[in-house]
Amino acid sequence: MAEAKDRPVRIQTDDFSVEEEVLRLREGSLRVGAVVTFLGTARDFSEGRSIRAIEFEQYSGMALREMTRLKEDALKRFAIIDVRIVHRVSRIAPGGQIVLIAVSAEHRKAAFEACLWCIDTLKKTVPLWKKETTEEGESWVVPHP
Amino acid sequence: MIRVLFFGMLAGKTGCREFSLDMKKPQAPLKEVMEALHARFSGLPRAPYMTAINEEQAEASSVVKDGDEVAIMPPFSGG
Repeated sequence: MAEAKDRPVRIQTDDFSVEEEVLRLREGSLRVGAVVTFLGTARDFSEGRSIRAIEFEQYSGMALREMTRLKEDALKRFAIIDVRIVHRVSRIAPGGQIVLIAVSAEHRKAAFEACLWCIDTLKKTVPLWKKETTEEGESWVVPHP
Repeated sequence: MIRVLFFGMLAGKTGCREFSLDMKKPQAPLKEVMEALHARFSGLPRAPYMTAINEEQAEASSVVKDGDEVAIMPPFSGG
């Protein structure tokens, strides 16, 4: 049985290895000439408040399906070879890893463009909600347009 | 019965994460379901929120059938 981390699109509580995800893309095809990654990490400061931790709620079935659709759409839209998307939903301390988008392509321009499009689209289409814990308590994050 | 799910800050505003709603008919437009929920939960804000039926994004005119799962979701904030 394949391990969970073999799946190219996944939502998980555990941390992930950027190096391992990039290696999977590079092993996937010898046509790869560029790999672009976006790594989202937890800040310790947001809108004037110190952040102790963040955590995410997900609408589990829909969130994974929308992330899978995001990968399929990116493969149709850009001249790229493959995409891996990993998002964590556990409690994450400042400095911790939240989300990884890794895109492989023959050339850098398509890889950069697809990577940016993927993270921008993920924020709009994947049902995930961020909650911040500060000294004053917990509050849900209202996204900026 | 329709299974209604509230996510994020909406669970706090309604005081529940999951609710069974009896529309007393086999199907209804989502708009009617929302009106029934507003009547039941005074804390449910009119906007902004997104909706899904059986895990697919839906609009006010979308049809909800008996046994469906309806999700009421605040704007997404992943990433």
